[in-house]
Amino acid sequence: MKAKLTRQTFIAGLALAGFALAAAPASAQSAAKIGAPAPAFEAVDSDGKTRRLSEFAGKTVILEWTNHDCPYVRKHYNSATMQTLQKDMAKEGVVWLSVISSPVGEQGHVDGAKANELTKSRNAAPAAVLLDPNSKVARAYGATTTPHMYIVDPKGTLAYMGAIDDKPSASAASIEGAKSYVRQAMAELKAGKPVSEASTKAYGCAVKYAPVS
Amino acid sequence: MAYPLTRQLWLKAVLALALLAPALAQAAESSAVTSPRVTATLLSSREAVAPGERFQVALVQKIAPGWHTYWANPGDSGEPTRITWALSQGATAGEIQWPAPKAIPVEPLVNFGFEGTVLLPVEITVPTEAKIGERLTLQAAATWLVCEKICIPEEGTLTLDLPVAPAAVVAEAAQSRIEAARAQLPAPAGFRGRLAGDGEGLALTLPGLPAGATELRFFPLSDTLIDHAAAQEIRRAGDEATVRLARSTAFKITGDEITGVLTYREGAVSRALGVAADVEPALVGAAAGPATAPATVSIPLPAEGADLTLWAALLFAFAGGLILNLMPCVLPVLFIKALGFAQHAQASRSQVREQGLLFLAGVLVTFMALATLVIALGAFGTSVGWGFQLQSPPLVIALSVVMTLIGLNLLGAFEIGTSAAGVGHGLASRGGRLGAFMTGALAVVVATPCTAPFMGAAIGYAVTQPPLLGLSVFLSLALGFALPVVALSFAPGLLRLLPKPGRWMLILKQAFAFPMFATAIWLIWVASVQAGPGGVLAALVAVLAAGFIVWLVGVTRGSGRARLASSLAAVLVAVGAGWFVVQSAVPEVAQARAGDAQAWSPERVAALQAEGRPVFVNFTAAWCITCLANERVALSRQEVKDAFAELKVTYLKADWTNRNSQIAMALAEQGRAGVPLYLFYPGSKGAQPEILPQLLTPDMVVTAARRASGKEIRTATR
Repeated sequence: MKAKLTRQTFIAGLALAGFALAAAPASAQSAAKIGAPAPAFEAVDSDGKTRRLSEFAGKTVILEWTNHDCPYVRKHYNSATMQTLQKDMAKEGVVWLSVISSPVGEQGHVDGAKANELTKSRNAAPAAVLLDPNSKVARAYGATTTPHMYIVDPKGTLAYMGAIDDKPSASAASIEGAKSYVRQAMAELKAGKPVSEASTKAYGCAVKYAPVS
Repeated sequence: MAYPLTRQLWLKAVLALALLAPALAQAAESSAVTSPRVTATLLSSREAVAPGERFQVALVQKIAPGWHTYWANPGDSGEPTRITWALSQGATAGEIQWPAPKAIPVEPLVNFGFEGTVLLPVEITVPTEAKIGERLTLQAAATWLVCEKICIPEEGTLTLDLPVAPAAVVAEAAQSRIEAARAQLPAPAGFRGRLAGDGEGLALTLPGLPAGATELRFFPLSDTLIDHAAAQEIRRAGDEATVRLARSTAFKITGDEITGVLTYREGAVSRALGVAADVEPALVGAAAGPATAPATVSIPLPAEGADLTLWAALLFAFAGGLILNLMPCVLPVLFIKALGFAQHAQASRSQVREQGLLFLAGVLVTFMALATLVIALGAFGTSVGWGFQLQSPPLVIALSVVMTLIGLNLLGAFEIGTSAAGVGHGLASRGGRLGAFMTGALAVVVATPCTAPFMGAAIGYAVTQPPLLGLSVFLSLALGFALPVVALSFAPGLLRLLPKPGRWMLILKQAFAFPMFATAIWLIWVASVQAGPGGVLAALVAVLAAGFIVWLVGVTRGSGRARLASSLAAVLVAVGAGWFVVQSAVPEVAQARAGDAQAWSPERVAALQAEGRPVFVNFTAAWCITCLANERVALSRQEVKDAFAELKVTYLKADWTNRNSQIAMALAEQGRAGVPLYLFYPGSKGAQPEILPQLLTPDMVVTAARRASGKEIRTATR
């Protein structure tokens, strides 16, 4: 599966992945795989607009799973490391999508207005905030924690998945000296190098999944 | 009756009391760090340690139902408990000896961790150079993440201070608890496993398992080895089992060995083995990492312990007692006492000391009397709690009269006693001595309703313990309360810090009358809540009568006949007013006071929870200053009201202004004997409430409201 796949072949890829999933033991693991096409998705954003991964073809896309009340997410927002990363990436033309997969009644669930208010009050800079209350996008990517980061390269291939940095702690003191896996991967992609650490163990609060409907 | 007790005797009594309190504490367990989710302590298998020995301690986490903390590899999310040690005497601490984890599903994810009560044992090595007679201080700065569905990072510093002795002294109970936990740790497996690639997955081959082993599950120590949530398929061939594992999305092996814990059942018995396996070279990543520590595990033992240790209760009580000195109704009384010391500091130091001790006696006797009453009534099944003395309107009114009289006295409207006890006269006179004792008693009476924040938990502990332990907590409270005045009477140096006696004392004394009047107003308001307009009338009549009597006695002083008449009149007025007060101040049926709060009942809470509505319960009383402060600064704030409205939280108020056995029972259920108590019930049937702190901020309430409404109790998928 090293061949360059275009977005048009996603459906086929997804179908294959589906088979693989059915064959594998049941778990949160998904079709998301480094070097393979990133799973396609469709989700409504905080402004009510339907967004698809395909609309960003040709651009690098970063997905950030988030839950504003999770202590690990708060660590990165309270220290502004997340917002700084978002702004730096925006300058490079990267599309940053924050994804909220908490269903109604679970921690982190917000409506569009609240999501926009959070963006404003935290001075965050995502291109869009995707609302995923049925946890469909989370299942497609196998997101386990908040934060959980994914980088999709301009060809639609998944280039990075995992932790935001190498300090799995909720303590604010852990930010200093942390190695940002996202920055490292982005720098390597920009230089045309392979991503050295393309898959790391994400850390944080569990993604609050909606029951399978 | 010149000197009923010599000063030496007093000193001895005080010393004995002070020594009694710590002696009752268990030295083998640290004071607890407590949240609504976890109560953590440090447990030691030694009461005294010997140089050169190794012994076990354990971090004990008592975890609330529905919540869990994490194993060394937390699974799909979470963070393991960590301990950073600071040890005196050059002692060293080993790694946490991890018990076997449980797989805790948070669909579709899985966490590895602990529920119920878990002991995390750690071995401490005492250097041979440790000095006998000195102390070994073990300070564990622990951090842990506790999650239900939501996660709360918590931390606490737990300290044990053990003497170094020629021979170790074993703490029997703690030792057997720790050893029971260690007996459950994973045993080293009698074999080495092999890990090989198996298509997309991994195959872990384990030779030499018992034939009857079922329900195998492998918990790797590395969090980048397997997909934690994936089912583990077992294939058996003779005594060899192969566990098929799905790879982690972040799959990475460093080194040629993996370690982990294998749990299984053998008949009805749960077992755990610490397993190491050789890794097929093809699976090993380029970078070699440091070897991981061998793991050990167990099934958490159900162990019962009080939520608060005696030691912590004593400390809280002592601190609470100190804080009581600052209450507006108490401070003036004590300050005047201190000023009295200042005036006599030079002339009669021993008399000042005696005054301090008499004050202490007054405090102790009154406190012990009240505590005995509370404990005795509790033993006879009457549901009273601390502050009960303010649940009777006539008593509240009597206190408002006392406050008014103290205020009038401070203003100089009259003087207590006829001749000898005047401020300018000898303090050692009989009146002065009685006065000092009574000042202590009075200070207690006016202070006890203002249960300071630290005291709630301690008093709750006190009334649920055997009487002797309960009394020791009250004793600690009393000692804390009396400390400032007694210290002042014993430390002339402190007195010298005060300015020279002079006019400023008179002015200050008069100024202090106003907090007393303010307290009287507050008490009359309490009476109005308890007994309605009749209560107010009764209180004001009582104040009027009291004022009249002291005036009458004052103006007729000196003339024998007039005095007799005035005494007669005073008695008549007092009896008449007293009768009127008792008649008028009959409690009305308590009603919810605040506009937006509804009346509490356990049934109402259950019904609302069944409807899926979160419920906030405010256990309060009109005579509880902390309660009223919380209502003012937090509960009645707009942001809290908005949050309650938005999250559909029902606000119930349990008003304990008058006696109410249902409320007393509800308080006891939460280990409390008094108000305030704030409970947030999630909106799902039967879900346990979160206990909020006794000092609230709007933020705290709003966040708790979100927690209560933004989550469900995890469904039983285990």
